[in-house]
Amino acid sequence: MNLYRPELKRFRFLRWFDFRSWRLGMLAYILNRVTAIGLVVYLYLHLAVLFLLAQGPSGWDPFIQIARTPWFLMLDVILLAGLLIHGLNGLRVALTGFGYGVRSQKPLFIALMIFAAIVLAVGVFKMFMG
Amino acid sequence: MSNPPHVIIIGAGSTGSATAHDLALRGLSVTVVERGEIASGTTGRNHCLLHSGGRYCVNDKEGAIECIEENLILRRIMPHALEMNDGLFVALDDEDYAFQEDFLAGCEECHIPAREIPVKQALEIEPFLNPKIKAAVQVPDGVFEPWRFCTSFLATAKKNGATIRNFTEVSDLVFQGSAVAGIQVFDHRTGKTETIGADMVVNATGSWAGIIAEMAHVNVPVAPTAGVMVTIGTRLNNMVINRMHKPHDGDIVVPVRNTSIIGTTSWRVTSPDAIEIPQDQIDKMMHAGELLIPSIKAGRQRGVMAVARPLIASANVDARDFSRTFEAFNHRKQGGAAGIITISGGKTTTARGMAEKVSDVVCAELGISVECKTKTTPLVSYRDFYN
Amino acid sequence: MSLQVTLKILRSRPHQEQRYDTFDVTVPDAANVLDAIEQAWAHHDRDLMFRHACHHASCGTCAVRINGREKLPCIAPVKDYDGGEIKIEPLRNFPIVGDLVVDVAPFFQNQEASDFIITRPTENELDGKAIAHTQGLDPESAPTVPFNRFENCVECGICLSACPTMSADYKFFGPAGLAAIKRQLDKTTDANEREKLLHLADDEHGVWRCHSAWECTEACPQSVFPAESIMALRKEINAQRFKKFFRL
Repeated sequence: MNLYRPELKRFRFLRWFDFRSWRLGMLAYILNRVTAIGLVVYLYLHLAVLFLLAQGPSGWDPFIQIARTPWFLMLDVILLAGLLIHGLNGLRVALTGFGYGVRSQKPLFIALMIFAAIVLAVGVFKMFMG
Repeated sequence: MSNPPHVIIIGAGSTGSATAHDLALRGLSVTVVERGEIASGTTGRNHCLLHSGGRYCVNDKEGAIECIEENLILRRIMPHALEMNDGLFVALDDEDYAFQEDFLAGCEECHIPAREIPVKQALEIEPFLNPKIKAAVQVPDGVFEPWRFCTSFLATAKKNGATIRNFTEVSDLVFQGSAVAGIQVFDHRTGKTETIGADMVVNATGSWAGIIAEMAHVNVPVAPTAGVMVTIGTRLNNMVINRMHKPHDGDIVVPVRNTSIIGTTSWRVTSPDAIEIPQDQIDKMMHAGELLIPSIKAGRQRGVMAVARPLIASANVDARDFSRTFEAFNHRKQGGAAGIITISGGKTTTARGMAEKVSDVVCAELGISVECKTKTTPLVSYRDFYN
Repeated sequence: MSLQVTLKILRSRPHQEQRYDTFDVTVPDAANVLDAIEQAWAHHDRDLMFRHACHHASCGTCAVRINGREKLPCIAPVKDYDGGEIKIEPLRNFPIVGDLVVDVAPFFQNQEASDFIITRPTENELDGKAIAHTQGLDPESAPTVPFNRFENCVECGICLSACPTMSADYKFFGPAGLAAIKRQLDKTTDANEREKLLHLADDEHGVWRCHSAWECTEACPQSVFPAESIMALRKEINAQRFKKFFRL
């Protein structure tokens, strides 16, 4: 699909996904949006799960069984990654958005993402080994 | 004849734009047609030098006087679109130094305010200048920005009722008997061909004047003479730096925004479209520029451009020595077609003066007498063109 | 001593289907992409629409996207795209007039809204050295005017094309427009003028619409750093609000 057709005015945001022009800042921008959507979806899933609690042990116990499988733990890893990326990048956006560290937005992003990777590694270790 | 008379101007370079402004201000109905973008021909790719006339004050006094007069007018009517930092003429060797006397005499004769300043002071003002210079003279050169220069004139013309159609290419002229009565244009936007009637057609196509003249079965002695310019990606001077000698290849460095432009060479071309850029000309420019400002050697070459100047040819004269003055050709008086006037030659600095002259001819042909007011009318912002 | 290059140019007109046309052109070694486009126009298709004027990154008319990235083709050397095709498309986020030409009218209206003057006093490494005597060159009677120069912004529209916010909200004032407000704010000390400029920036479609993708600044061919101006404007607006709130 050619995204530059004039009649596609309403879908102009699809141009965000023209990766040919992406640089680091744009990557952070896209990541922030993707993780945000992921976190919103998670929030609703979380509410659904909490609803199970109200049904007592008969509803809750089978869920706990599933939650202990490695496949489910993988989902937890994704959740943790999303939280770290969105949260830490959010700090960067807030800082630069008020005029602090504007000229070092790139190193700031890299540093925060390295920090995120370390925390994620520790988290994964605890989850699977702990 | 329609009332007010309708004049079509072909070409939205500096001459066409200034003429549109002049005629619109005189109350005529004006349409400008341009085959591409505003200033996409010679004007766009010029050196951006607002001449003080210093460059021509020894060889071409007529051209020099036109320059200084127009320079002072432009400072009044478009102050926000100019870098007004003056220019320095510097002597690099004994020969240049000997030329200084002629130069100062020429400046005086042409009423160009010139002032000799001590070498030490010149180097203080311009720290990147060659420290070996022998003399420096300050003159009121300046810098303009070609596209904004033309667009300012067109914006003002538009405000006064003119219609400006870019991407509209003239495909033929329309005749009534033997007189030109309009033009046939191809609108690139719509892909449609249409006819526009006119009481007078002004051919302001510069280097391309011959093509329109041919359609009118008349002859214009325009000699497209190419020049190459090299842009350095750092601004190395505040003022325009000229070499104090007869105009030569690569003897001037013009600062524009965050860059410096070295110019220029001179060679005859047959077709003014898409001129190739010879590497030896670029090397020549760089070398000549380094003599004036040694730091150019270390500078990053940012761009090169070549374009044809629409000089008026005269026999047995080298292209570099063709006069920089302009001429309006009333073809009817030369036994050719009526209803068309060609304006060519000149420089962007003198565009307003050229416009005044050709507008006078147009008004005389149409039998109307209105005074030119462009000398004292400030131009509106170039951005108003898009209002 | 010449380069062979293939240009793939997006062609569009209101009355035609969009398509890519391919042109094989030969250019000198020193040529930039704009020269190649001009060759394609001169030797292959005189109906090709593109904007250009100064050919040295001063007018800002020629901006297009080369292989997906916003560039000024007048300073993009052909040899940087050695081998293969060069894909050329018009800027994003502007209405297309035809081929590579976009309608810049709304953009220039925004630029004009802040009365942004395109010249300013020098402030580079040449600064503080001296002053120019413009009128009549008489050092006694002439006013001592500091050297001036054109602003770095060439108003090419590249930042608007690169900006993802612009794709979602086309009333967004745009990086160049906001940077112009900041420049103008720096040039004036008049309280009313400052108030007016800050009000212009503090709009529903003003500084708060920026979502920090930094593309404007990355794409800018003139190192104007519009993002920094946007953030600085926010700071000023916040400071003003803070003062008002506590009646300082």
